Amino acid sequence: MEFDFSPVIEYLPTLLQGVGVTLLIGLAVAVMSVIGGQIVAVISLYTRKVVNWPLRFFIWLFMTTPLLLQLYFLYFGLGELILIPAIVVGILGLGFHYMAYNADIFIATIRSVSSGQYEASRSLGFGHLNTLFYVILPQAFYRALPQLSNNMIIMVKDISVLSAIGIGEMVYVSQYAISVTFRPFEFYITIAVIYYLINLMMEAGQTRIERRAAYRR
Amino acid sequence: MDINLMIEITPLLVKAAWVTVDISARALFFGFFIASALVAMRTSRIPPVRWLARAYISVVRGTPYFVQLLLVFYGGPAVGLRLDPFTCGVVVGAFNIGAYMSEAIRGAIESVDSGQNEASRSLGFGRLETLQHIILPQAAGLMIRSIGVLAIILVKNSSLVSIISVIELTYQAQRLIGSTYKPLEVFTLSALMYIVIIYAVMGIVEFLYRRATRYAFL
Amino acid sequence: MTQSTEPPMVELKGVKKRFGDLEVLKGIDLRVDRGKIISIIGPSGSGKSTLLRSINNLEVIDEGSILLDGVQVNRPDLKGLAFERHINHIRQNMGMVFQHFNLFPHLSTLENVTLAPRKLKGMKASNARELGMELLERVGLADKAQSYPSSLSGGQKQRVAIARALAMQPKVMLFDEATSALDPELVEEVNRVMKGLAEEHMTMLIVTHEMAFARDVSDWAMFMDGGVVVEANTPDHLFSHPDQERTQHFLRKHLGAQA
Repeated sequence: MEFDFSPVIEYLPTLLQGVGVTLLIGLAVAVMSVIGGQIVAVISLYTRKVVNWPLRFFIWLFMTTPLLLQLYFLYFGLGELILIPAIVVGILGLGFHYMAYNADIFIATIRSVSSGQYEASRSLGFGHLNTLFYVILPQAFYRALPQLSNNMIIMVKDISVLSAIGIGEMVYVSQYAISVTFRPFEFYITIAVIYYLINLMMEAGQTRIERRAAYRR
Repeated sequence: MDINLMIEITPLLVKAAWVTVDISARALFFGFFIASALVAMRTSRIPPVRWLARAYISVVRGTPYFVQLLLVFYGGPAVGLRLDPFTCGVVVGAFNIGAYMSEAIRGAIESVDSGQNEASRSLGFGRLETLQHIILPQAAGLMIRSIGVLAIILVKNSSLVSIISVIELTYQAQRLIGSTYKPLEVFTLSALMYIVIIYAVMGIVEFLYRRATRYAFL
Repeated sequence: MTQSTEPPMVELKGVKKRFGDLEVLKGIDLRVDRGKIISIIGPSGSGKSTLLRSINNLEVIDEGSILLDGVQVNRPDLKGLAFERHINHIRQNMGMVFQHFNLFPHLSTLENVTLAPRKLKGMKASNARELGMELLERVGLADKAQSYPSSLSGGQKQRVAIARALAMQPKVMLFDEATSALDPELVEEVNRVMKGLAEEHMTMLIVTHEMAFARDVSDWAMFMDGGVVVEANTPDHLFSHPDQERTQHFLRKHLGAQA
C-alpha cells in the first residue's frame, strides 16, 4: 500500500476547474429549483384541476424515480429532439428533480400559513395576488428554509452524478486524470474531502440562515 | 409509443428490476446492523468511541454516495479491497445508509418521553431492559417510518451502481435507450418499475407500522 | 345639523347569514353614526363575531345589505375581478382587529404597519416610515419598531395590530374580541389604546367580553343571542337594568363570573 498524491497536485488546476463547474451548477440549480419550486407550488395549489393535476403528477414522478434515470431520459430524449449542450441537460435535470422536491415543501408550508394571515391581509384591502406575494409566500418561504437548505445540501452532492452524462464537474475531470495516472484512490479521496468541506460550509451557512429566519416565523 | 418494443423489453427490465430489489434489500439488511452498532457507539461511555461514530456519520453524510461508490470500487484495490460490482454496491450501500439510519434510530429513541425511562428505571429495570421492553416498543413506529423513507432512498440510490456495471434497472434502461433510440418507451417502463418497487416498500412499511403501533389503536 | 343629511357610517339592513343549515344571523338591522362607538356583547355562538366579519365581507352574507358611509359593501351583482376591486377598495376604509392579532410574522413591527400604505396607496418609503413611527408612538411602541412580532407580548402585538389597521386611515374600526386572547394583566394596555381612539371620535364597532370596558367606552350597546339582536340600548340602561330576561341572565352569569 503506497499512496502518491503527486498526480493529484499535478492535475490540481483541472480539479479546481471541476470544483468551479460543480459550484456554478449548484448555484444555477439552487436558483432554478427554489424559484421554480415556488411557482410550481403556487400553480398546483391555486389553479383548476386541468392545470394542477399534470403538475402534481410530474412532482410525484420526479420524486419516485431515480435522478440518474431522469438524467438519461433527458439526455437521450432531449438530445434527440434538439441540439443541446450536456451541461444544460444536467442543470435542467437536476433543476427539475429538486424543483419537484422543493415544490412539495412549499405546498406544505403555504398550506401551513394560518387563515388568519390571509384574513388580516384581506381586511387591509390587499387582493388575492397581493396577499399571496406580500403575506403568504414570504412566510411560506421562511418556514420552508430548514427543509429547503437540507435539499440544497443533498443537491450539491448529487452534482457528482452528472459526470455520468459527461459534464465536466469534479468527478468527470478526475476520471480523465485517473485514466492517465492510474491513481483512482488518491483522486476520489481528494474529491471526497472537497465535497466534505463544501458540505461543512453549507451546514454552517444553514445554521446561520436558520438562526436569522427563526424570529420571522 | 411503440407498444411492441415495450412488450419485448419488459422481461429484460423485470430481471434488472429484481437486481435493484436484491441489492437494495441486502444493503438495507446490513445497513441496519451497521446503524445499530453506530447507535451503540454513540451512547458509549468511552469518549473516543463516541467521537469515532460521530466522525463516521458526519463524513458519510457529508460526501456523495456516488463518490463513495467510485472510491471503494476503483480506489479499493489500492488498499487491498477488491470487490465485485454487486458486492461493492451492497457494501457501500449498507455503510452509507447505516450512517443515515443510525440518526433515524437515535431520533426515534429520543422521541420517547424521558419520563418513560425514569418510570422504568424506578421499577428496577436495567438500562438494556428498559431499552428493550419500554423504549424500543414505543419508538418502533417512528423508527419504521424513518427507515422506510431511507429504504426508498436506497432503492433510488441503487441506480448509481449502474456506473460500476451492475446490471440493474437503470443500467438496463440506459443500455436499451442506447440500442433502441426510444427513450420515452424505455423510460416509461423503467420508471413504472421503480414506482412499483417504491410503492411495495411503502406498503410493507405501512403494514409494519400498523403492527408496531397496534397498542395505540386498541 | 348636518348630521341628519349625512349617511350613517355603517348601516346594516336585514342581514342574514347561514352556515349550511344553521342560520347564524337572522335579519340584523344596525345603524352606526359617525364618531359613535357600538359594543356588541353576547354568548359565544350568538353571531356577534360573524356580524362583525360580515361588515368586512370576511363572511359573505346571504341576504340584506351592508353600507359603509353610504356605499354598499356587499354587492351580489358584482362577480370575479369587479367585486375583488370593489371590496379591496372598501376594505381600505375599514380597520379590522382580530382576536389572535394576525400580525405578519415575517415583517418587523414597523413594516407590519407600513406594508398596506406603501403597497396599496403607493406611499413613499420615507413618508410611510414617518406615518408608521407616528402610529407606533401613539400605541406606545415606537421603541419596538425594528422588533419582530415573535418577540412581542400579546398586548404589544395587539397594539401593533391596531396601529397597522389605523395606517390606512380607516373610516371605521372593527374590533373582534381584541382582548379575549390576552392574559388579564395585558388587557388594560389595549383598552387604553382603544379609549384613546374613542376620544378622537373614531367610529368603532367592538365585539367584546369585557363588560366594564364596553359600558365605559361605548355610546350604544347591543346584546345578541341566537343570531338576533335581543336588546339594544344605551350602555347604562343595558348593563344596569336590561329589559329582556335573556340579557339579565347573560349579564348575571357574566358579571358574576368576573367578580
